[in-house]
Amino acid sequence: MAIGRSLLAYAITRAALAVPMLLILLTAVFFVLRVLPGDPVLALWGGREPPPDVVEAARVQLGLDKPPILQYVDYMSRFFRGDFGLSIGVTYVGRPVIGEIMNRLPATVELSIGAMFVATTVGLLTGVVGGARRDTKLDVAIRLYGTIIWVIPIFWLGILFQIVFAIWLGWFPPHGRWQGTDYPRTVTGMYTVDSLLEGNLDHFATAVRHLVLPWLTLGLVLGGFFTKTVRANMIRTMMADYTEATRARGVPGRQVVTRHAFKNALVPVITVLGLQFAILFAGAVLTEKTFSIDGIGLLLLQSVDSKDMTMIQGVIVIYATIIVVISLVIDILGAVIDPRIRL
Amino acid sequence: MEEKPAEKKPANRKMLYAVVAVIVVAIIVIGAAAVILTAPPKKYQIELWFNSSGHYGDTENNLATVLKNSIESCGKVQVTLKSEIWANYRQDRNQGKLPFFLLGWYPDYSDTDDYVAPFLASSGSPSFGSFYSNASVDQWVLQEQSSTSATVRADAFTKLQNQLAKDVPYIPLFSGYSETAYVSGMKNVTLHPIMFKLFIISKPNSAEFNMSTTDSITSLDPALAYDYFSIELVNQIFDTLVTYEPVTSKLMPSLATSVPTVGNGISADGKNYTYVLKPGLKFSDGSALNATVVKRSMDRTIRINDAGGAAFLLWDTGALGRDQNNGNNTPVGAIEVAPDDLTITFHLQRPIAFFNDIIAFSVSSIVPWNYDQSKAQTDAVGSVVGSGPYRLTGYVPNQQFVLQKNSLYNTPTLYQSFGIPAIPVAAKVTINRRDSSTALAQDLKVTPKLADIVYRTLTPEDLATLQTQKATLGLTVDIATSPFIRYLVFNVKPNNPVAITDVRVRQAIAYSVDRAVIDRDVFASNVEPLYSLVPPGFSFSSSYSQPVFQTQYGDARCASANAIWNQLGFAASFASRELMARADRSLAIATETGIST
Repeated sequence: MAIGRSLLAYAITRAALAVPMLLILLTAVFFVLRVLPGDPVLALWGGREPPPDVVEAARVQLGLDKPPILQYVDYMSRFFRGDFGLSIGVTYVGRPVIGEIMNRLPATVELSIGAMFVATTVGLLTGVVGGARRDTKLDVAIRLYGTIIWVIPIFWLGILFQIVFAIWLGWFPPHGRWQGTDYPRTVTGMYTVDSLLEGNLDHFATAVRHLVLPWLTLGLVLGGFFTKTVRANMIRTMMADYTEATRARGVPGRQVVTRHAFKNALVPVITVLGLQFAILFAGAVLTEKTFSIDGIGLLLLQSVDSKDMTMIQGVIVIYATIIVVISLVIDILGAVIDPRIRL
Repeated sequence: MEEKPAEKKPANRKMLYAVVAVIVVAIIVIGAAAVILTAPPKKYQIELWFNSSGHYGDTENNLATVLKNSIESCGKVQVTLKSEIWANYRQDRNQGKLPFFLLGWYPDYSDTDDYVAPFLASSGSPSFGSFYSNASVDQWVLQEQSSTSATVRADAFTKLQNQLAKDVPYIPLFSGYSETAYVSGMKNVTLHPIMFKLFIISKPNSAEFNMSTTDSITSLDPALAYDYFSIELVNQIFDTLVTYEPVTSKLMPSLATSVPTVGNGISADGKNYTYVLKPGLKFSDGSALNATVVKRSMDRTIRINDAGGAAFLLWDTGALGRDQNNGNNTPVGAIEVAPDDLTITFHLQRPIAFFNDIIAFSVSSIVPWNYDQSKAQTDAVGSVVGSGPYRLTGYVPNQQFVLQKNSLYNTPTLYQSFGIPAIPVAAKVTINRRDSSTALAQDLKVTPKLADIVYRTLTPEDLATLQTQKATLGLTVDIATSPFIRYLVFNVKPNNPVAITDVRVRQAIAYSVDRAVIDRDVFASNVEPLYSLVPPGFSFSSSYSQPVFQTQYGDARCASANAIWNQLGFAASFASRELMARADRSLAIATETGIST
């Protein structure tokens, strides 16, 4: 019971700290965007400049005529009511920010979850094998693979996959999330999940076929980090006293690796998993661009160009919230695995 | 006895000193001469700004670099490249912070005026960042805008272009191009200068086709649509009183029975335009389209006047006016429905020679009576209702648009006299959006093809690849000159510290620009060099366009440029003068003998 209460207190403390962190981030982003040069109102019109009173009317319409502090108070009061405001950028002007984000978030989540699955699976397998068979030819090959795959530019690997698996072999579609006009009925916005919810396996197969190359591209590149980290931790745990003691007791080699060394090697890996999600989202932007997946990464890129401040704030808040929540879960998981963390 | 040392001869010593002195002096003279002759000349410093965030495509960095090299190649200018994202670029441009920069222009209406007035009139030039102002030019702009006489307008346009070449607030560079690649055998794929007409395209043995594009939309409400692809889709779903012929930019009637002309719909003073509608017009939802609906539609656009929209083209450029005392609609009496519900007259506040072209623009598309009167109509199937050849029947935001035949389309025989019996030709068009040029090209390379046609925007590299592989892939690749133009802008604002107010500097740079190199090195020989802001290749401008920059400045004429730099105190070194003179002589000989193209 004491341990349970301690874990609960730890989780509550971490969650409570996350809220002010998000608010500080949002405040910083809000004011930095307004300090930076660039006029989103002028950027609304492509080549021609409308009469000055039209520009000023647009400024009033978008609420940019008020002092920044009043804009901030207004923004935060709406933010706490779940209203992220309206877009002020040329592409989405006047549309609700949350609507545009929610339209695209499922694509990013679907991409990220699959890619993280590929990254951890490939990374763990290669890392464990490399660490357990240290300095063998296989280990050298895995080390080489881990280094090369980690430094390969995502867009380059993506284009390579597109050429080989889509254009030459024709196994997978080269890009996009769907082909044809018969889209799955929208429930979550994730086509894989929505296909399963409507019980349509053909739809599910179509959705997965479109995701295989993006998942592999992003997952393999991220997996390079896991390969190297898990291998290093495996070597450390394989040389630890308790592993030696296990071996001395006559436990078979495979059991030593899977039941003792691997479990202990995972602790630091889980700790860095949260950080990897931040890198994953950065990589997702490039993957979305390469594979024409309209996720929130692309939305952020478009918004920066037109200085769509409300949209940038909205996307960053969503990114930050996701990363904070994942970090929180991982911290709690780490605390469960290793009680010393709670101390 | 000690021997007395022999005395040196004074004459020999003097001779030695003299020789040494001569050698030293010679070395100093030769050294000084070498330093003077080979010293790098003092150079004029200038910043060239460009947009870094892809507003003009992926080639902007290369374009700026090529321009820098061509200007610097004359040896007298040091160009520093600087760039910004679009929002910053626009702001700095308007605030007069950019001295010299790249811009592009796509006309809103098909009239030569749109290539002249916004750039050169004192009221328009600040929005281009040039701040050019000339009272005579303002007068000539007023003349060409208010006259329907081709002679009067030609005279005004000639004067305007000559003055442009003399004052050089802008340097025209090239006309852009539009491109499409499609499965061979598709019919009526026409790169129309104003609009890409999907409703005349057909695929053999199929009632539908798929198109891929990198373009996205901002809105499908004509009151808001003011970006390229929104306008394209509005043009497929909505109709206007007058429209364009299938291949040229010549106007023809659409919802109206005729295009007004002076004496036949346009008053003698050019201030009143009357259109007579065809009887029995309907929207795709079956509701009536008459003159009262047209008036309501125009007033709605002007009243909403949305941020980023093109309503100002009607009430400001088109001189219809916007009256706060009349609910921000047009002033009372500005749009008159009389004597019946098929006749509508627009009373303009001043004569506008190109009002018909504004009426053909998407902002003048007619929307139904029940459209939202206070804000934009929602972009959704069932909500977007027009009277054009197609209906919007599928819309997945940022991914897909599905257009299907509007069975109530009013003028299916519109292009019958052009050999197209009925429009729309294809019953269904599916448009898929991609995020890169590479993806567009891939849609045509995979088996089976994911697109029958790709339109906007292929990079020069992808375009070249498709051209190379078109036989293998069974494709046709078309490239045509677009009304889009690119040009350099000089900030000439008086008393502005960054402005380039000395016209000789602008003229010298105009001599240095090399359009052929831009075409070859940046655009794979797909663009047309441009020697006036008025492009020559279109029916609405060809008779007025004059290549004033070709006759006055040519390309890469370093001798002429350096003559100006010399006047300005930037004398060329002996070596560079010689090289430039030789190069210019060679160029002149090559041009005269026809070796140069």
